[in-house]
Amino acid sequence: MNQAQVTKLVSKLRIKVAPEPRRLRNPKGPEGRLNKLRKTVTGLIKFERIELNFNRADEARQYAERLISEAIAHGDCHKPTMEIADYWLLEKELIHKLFKVLVPRYENCNTAFTKMYRAPRPLYSRNIEKAVLELRGNPYPSLINKQYSNRQLIQNVLLDAAKYDYRQAKYAEMADKIGKTENQQLNNLTKKDEITPENKEEQIPLST
Amino acid sequence: MATFNMKILCTTLSKLSVNRVTIRRNAYYKPPKYRPPHWFMPKERVMSEDMLTQENRDFIEEIKQDKLNSQLALESPLAHVDQHTVQWTPFTRRVGLIARKIGNYPLWSKDGKKFQTTLLQVVDNHVIKYIPPEEFNPMRTKKICWKEKRTLGCLLVGSETVDPSTVTKDYCGIFNSVGMLPKRHLFRFMVSPNSALPTGTPLFATHFRVGDYVDVRAKTIDRGFQGVMKRWGFSGMPASHGVTKTHRRPGNIGAGGEKARVWPGTKMPGHMGNRWRILRGVKILRINTKHNILWMLGVGIPGETGAVCYLYDTVLPLKKLKIAPPFPTHPASNDLPLEYYDESIHPFEEQTIMFDEV
Amino acid sequence: MALVIRKPTFDILSAAKWMIRKDCRALSSLVEKTEETEKRPVGRRARFQNPALEYRHIFPEFLPDPNPKWRNSLREKMERADMLKRRSQIDIPEFYVGSVLAVTISDPHAQGKTNRFVGICIERKGCGLRAEFTLRNVVDHQGVEIRYDLYDPTIQSIQVLRLEKRLDDKLFYLRDALPEYSTFPFDMDPEILPEGTPVPVNTVQVKLKPRPWLERWERQELKGVANIEEHLKEKDRIRRELRKTPWEKYDLMKEYRKTIPVEDQTEIWGEVHNQLNQLRLSRKKMFKKRPISTPKPQLG
Repeated sequence: MNQAQVTKLVSKLRIKVAPEPRRLRNPKGPEGRLNKLRKTVTGLIKFERIELNFNRADEARQYAERLISEAIAHGDCHKPTMEIADYWLLEKELIHKLFKVLVPRYENCNTAFTKMYRAPRPLYSRNIEKAVLELRGNPYPSLINKQYSNRQLIQNVLLDAAKYDYRQAKYAEMADKIGKTENQQLNNLTKKDEITPENKEEQIPLST
Repeated sequence: MATFNMKILCTTLSKLSVNRVTIRRNAYYKPPKYRPPHWFMPKERVMSEDMLTQENRDFIEEIKQDKLNSQLALESPLAHVDQHTVQWTPFTRRVGLIARKIGNYPLWSKDGKKFQTTLLQVVDNHVIKYIPPEEFNPMRTKKICWKEKRTLGCLLVGSETVDPSTVTKDYCGIFNSVGMLPKRHLFRFMVSPNSALPTGTPLFATHFRVGDYVDVRAKTIDRGFQGVMKRWGFSGMPASHGVTKTHRRPGNIGAGGEKARVWPGTKMPGHMGNRWRILRGVKILRINTKHNILWMLGVGIPGETGAVCYLYDTVLPLKKLKIAPPFPTHPASNDLPLEYYDESIHPFEEQTIMFDEV
Repeated sequence: MALVIRKPTFDILSAAKWMIRKDCRALSSLVEKTEETEKRPVGRRARFQNPALEYRHIFPEFLPDPNPKWRNSLREKMERADMLKRRSQIDIPEFYVGSVLAVTISDPHAQGKTNRFVGICIERKGCGLRAEFTLRNVVDHQGVEIRYDLYDPTIQSIQVLRLEKRLDDKLFYLRDALPEYSTFPFDMDPEILPEGTPVPVNTVQVKLKPRPWLERWERQELKGVANIEEHLKEKDRIRRELRKTPWEKYDLMKEYRKTIPVEDQTEIWGEVHNQLNQLRLSRKKMFKKRPISTPKPQLG
């Protein structure tokens, strides 16, 4: 068991991080791997939405999240953070964008700064998983289904009816209880019967 | 002539049937058993996006919570049963526990020695069902070891209640038939008929005592396809001195002459790990009754952190139970001490170990 | 980008909206910039200013191993509870790599059943109950190193004779240094620092013996070694340049995987902070009550 490093403080990422980094094969080794990811991170900060291979998108997403969280944590007057931003953003005007646009945008954000979707892949081509990586709050139209929570969908209609029945049964039970206790109080009986809670379990479809 | 040749060809072709494929079978490869146990149902469900509105999601969550609350409110069926009706004998087999491996750390003995221990947490174990020996009809795996007359019943134990919507309907059915919520892990223990337990009995870590020995069954860490150095501990070959291309290879795998073939059982590269293994005779050093944690001696318990393992009384003749354990199980009670220590273990809250001069 | 254009329901209206929004942002970003300057320190940075976070330097073993394969919240909790139980029995003082310590343990084979060793701490590692530290000294011209478990119940006392830090995290190079750098008398008197002073950093640079060495010290970027260049050949310098990994300090995820994030740390320190503070205060009181003539350490 090793000791955690204590020299530097980092803030927690809001995305799932794999225990081991992915090997993006490169003849130049770890340096070449970072060079590849630098290009992707720069592209993401520049265009705010990019489509690329899944493996590379997932790796680049972690680095982009870390870069933004470092920028938020230390600000633009912190020299090491500036060096990191200088290394990761190949186009130097994007450093201004990072500190002046993205940091205010995500400062009070409680979720991850990026979003990733699995993209459709071409049928007759190299069968590589594709992904769309985007920054949250980008100016493009949304990618998710507009039908996401439609009341008129059959499962929602059925569940609404089930909910109504369930609530009615619950209220009836509660009213029954109150009525019983009132009766008991009125009668002032010496022996008190314990109220047995009725079986609540009803046949309600849990999953469609 | 041509028709005759044709006939010969047809007969030879018919003899070459694909059905007669011999399946390799040894200690490390066993073909899958085609008949699962009768209580087994596929558990994993393909999750799909339901596109529900937020109110309906809340409603489903509410029902889940109601069901869970009603389950938690159930009392142990053992609470009102007289415990002394059946006695434990050395030949009875008790039920075991399902535990989760949560890590390792050292404990020190009273004479200052350091012991590595493995922590096992017993999470939310409940008895699901008892099948008496007359009704229990498992799959016949081996012809030789098969005894027609069965004397042990089968007790199903589940652990870790899960959300019913995450598992299949068939799997839920096993639990619905006895009025329980589905559990993530389900395991059978072969028990003597007199140690059967009613459905819904909770099982705790105090089912075992400190100083007892148990057997632990779990799956080993899956290491994938490995070479001989990692899989069998071969020493490989030198890194230099003219050695080329054979640094981690096995070398010779057999002799010539009549034995000019690879003998069965030769240690070769292959898949390593992800097999069921039993570690027998593991001592319990410490028990926490609040979180239901067992400290087991040693780090040999198979599986990585978070793996599920099954514990039961050991079958080793010298380490078997001699004094009657809690039978059929330890009832739920609130007035237990927080921690039990083996007499050889030094509790951390006690004073520094000092050796007296003789 | 390509995906957006491919979308069938992409009408002119939404495109226009998008353009307008984009313009608005471009305009507003300039305006916001002036207002935002005062507000900014309120945000996330407050989390980094928790005073309990400073405990990570004094009690690094309370932080778990960052490898997610070995982490389990319940196990970590039990481990911390056990550590606090042990700390209530014995005073484990604040010390760093480079401090000079005296450790007394009970040993069944020693005369008088106790054994005292004085030395400089050259390494501190491990987390939880496995935490350990190594002391080094030169006794009768022979280097001696002893590794102790921090939470071993046979340890009777740990006394800090000189509280200081060195320039490096690990002092293994003392093995190859001249023996006077790791020689400490067993009857050393404890040097007491005045209350509230920061821990001093000893900037001494040791001199290495000529080669052969136990490790390739020239590749490790050590700050506490003075004469490393004297013993190098041209070949070693070239090899050192080839082995350098300047990109590693920019590998943000590698760094992340080696640390425990602030959010997790605040949770951990919130759990143990009070008890650790109480233990410290009670120890201080005990220290004040003791008579002024401090008992002289016995000869080993």
